[in-house]
Amino acid sequence: MTAVAAKPAAGSAMNPTAMVIGVVMLIILLGIAYVVSPGLGLMALIGVVIGGVLIGFGVHFVPVGGAPAAMGQAPGIATGVAMLAAGAGLAGLFGGAWAADQGFVIAVITGGVGGGMMMAITCMMVNFVYVFGMGIPAASGKVAKDPITGDTQPEFKSQGTEGHGLPFVSFVGGVTGGILGGAGGTLIYLELLSLYQATLPTVLNASATQVLPIAVATAGIFAIGMFLVNAVLTAYNITGTIEGPHDPKFKRWPRAIVASAVASALCGLVAILIVTI
Amino acid sequence: MTVKVEVIEGGIPHTKIMIAGLICTIVCLYLSYLNVATGTEMFSFFGGLAVISALIWGSHTIKVLCSYGIGTGVPSAGMIAFGSGVIAMLLATKFGIAAPIVALVLAAIIGLVLGYLSNNVLNMKIPVMIQSLTELAVVGALTLMGFAVLMTGSFTFTGLTTGSVTLFGALSMPSYQLSFIGGGLTAVAFLLGAIAIQHPFNACLGPGWKQDRMLMLTAECGFLSMIVAAIMSFALISTGSAILSLLIALIGWVYTYCEYIKLSKRDAFAWLDAKPIPEVEGH
Repeated sequence: MTAVAAKPAAGSAMNPTAMVIGVVMLIILLGIAYVVSPGLGLMALIGVVIGGVLIGFGVHFVPVGGAPAAMGQAPGIATGVAMLAAGAGLAGLFGGAWAADQGFVIAVITGGVGGGMMMAITCMMVNFVYVFGMGIPAASGKVAKDPITGDTQPEFKSQGTEGHGLPFVSFVGGVTGGILGGAGGTLIYLELLSLYQATLPTVLNASATQVLPIAVATAGIFAIGMFLVNAVLTAYNITGTIEGPHDPKFKRWPRAIVASAVASALCGLVAILIVTI
Repeated sequence: MTVKVEVIEGGIPHTKIMIAGLICTIVCLYLSYLNVATGTEMFSFFGGLAVISALIWGSHTIKVLCSYGIGTGVPSAGMIAFGSGVIAMLLATKFGIAAPIVALVLAAIIGLVLGYLSNNVLNMKIPVMIQSLTELAVVGALTLMGFAVLMTGSFTFTGLTTGSVTLFGALSMPSYQLSFIGGGLTAVAFLLGAIAIQHPFNACLGPGWKQDRMLMLTAECGFLSMIVAAIMSFALISTGSAILSLLIALIGWVYTYCEYIKLSKRDAFAWLDAKPIPEVEGH
């Protein structure tokens, strides 16, 4: 199927030609990184790509409800992907950045825990507001039974809605998404931070302590930028709303993986070029 | 870059706004180079004017893109604009005087790739997607560069990373912490711009949308962000220059705010000039 013969509207169909072009672009970008900076730069870029893919994949788990959820007419958290992902990802990023001195693995896990906690608190308070504030039970509109608890859903669903509230599976999805997103954001930050700490003293001709603020701030802002790019691309993939891992839209994740990998590779390459040219 | 001519009912066509916005922004950014030519920091306010012209262009691009109903909300467009823009802008600052042009080209490349990814890999199939994301990335990069000029008076990497600390009133030593990038002001500029670019269309969309009202609101949001940025610039540039930027921002904001209120009243079906809650006697 070519791009011309594909369905006109945004749907769940894959576009193999574009996917292949995406993979080729990813390889070219990695190749450029290898030419520019074979050791440190390439390793950092691979880390950034993995982090970006984690973010892109993680956002699929988060139950994003959008405007219909704010009116109790669709399940999920009542805001857009950009806001939710930024909240969870930045909470994770701050947690991970705080633990950056403790070692790579601990920092990435701390980032994941930070993002997961942020989403757990958000999901719980959202359900509090739905149940005790708006007086509606949690019910999914996409599945007849909750895949984890086995609770039946249709009898709790109001007529004319697609479900409402946050069923258990959406809650679990939200926390999983937060963990993946937070860990991915922290991974990008750590890779760029270690690259900048190693190269900035020679670029700016200053001591390692002097350039630390620059290294931290530059890595941080690049991580935030890449996080938002990946989150918004994933938001485009799920066309705005998703219920969680049980939603049929979840099956679109391979497209987002390719898109996130290419976008992260491109942005990461630019971030690496800043210290190599 | 292909340019799609699109006439919007009762308004200036998008192409015209795009070209005007681009030229204004680049010219304003280069006018700030007078700082170097004259050896002062008095011309930093041109950065703020570059921000406003870029934002006006960007908010109209968001209107063109979001008219197609992308389903993710208007703020996401602002976020991807600045997410890709900040990356291009930071690398571009390495190129000295060519920085605004490099930022333009680099952001256009990043935007083009992101547009291709959204439209083809993610199957969005929105006709203006590639062009809009390209424009938005350029707007994001140039807006951030404008904020950088406004706050530090320079758009070069050295100027943005190096500040100076005065000890005991006389001894001056270089400091990397007291700078645009090292002090984390990039993050503030990022969100000041991202909110200013997405708010106008988010606030004005609907059947009663009017182009002049939305663009006036953009200018108002831009000047409001410029006030905050001008206050922050007191830390990095001379007090006189910062006061000049602040005055220009304040005058611009008051003017655009009054104009926006006038346009809102013009477009409203009816309005009531509600007074504040009256003081009740006997307290």
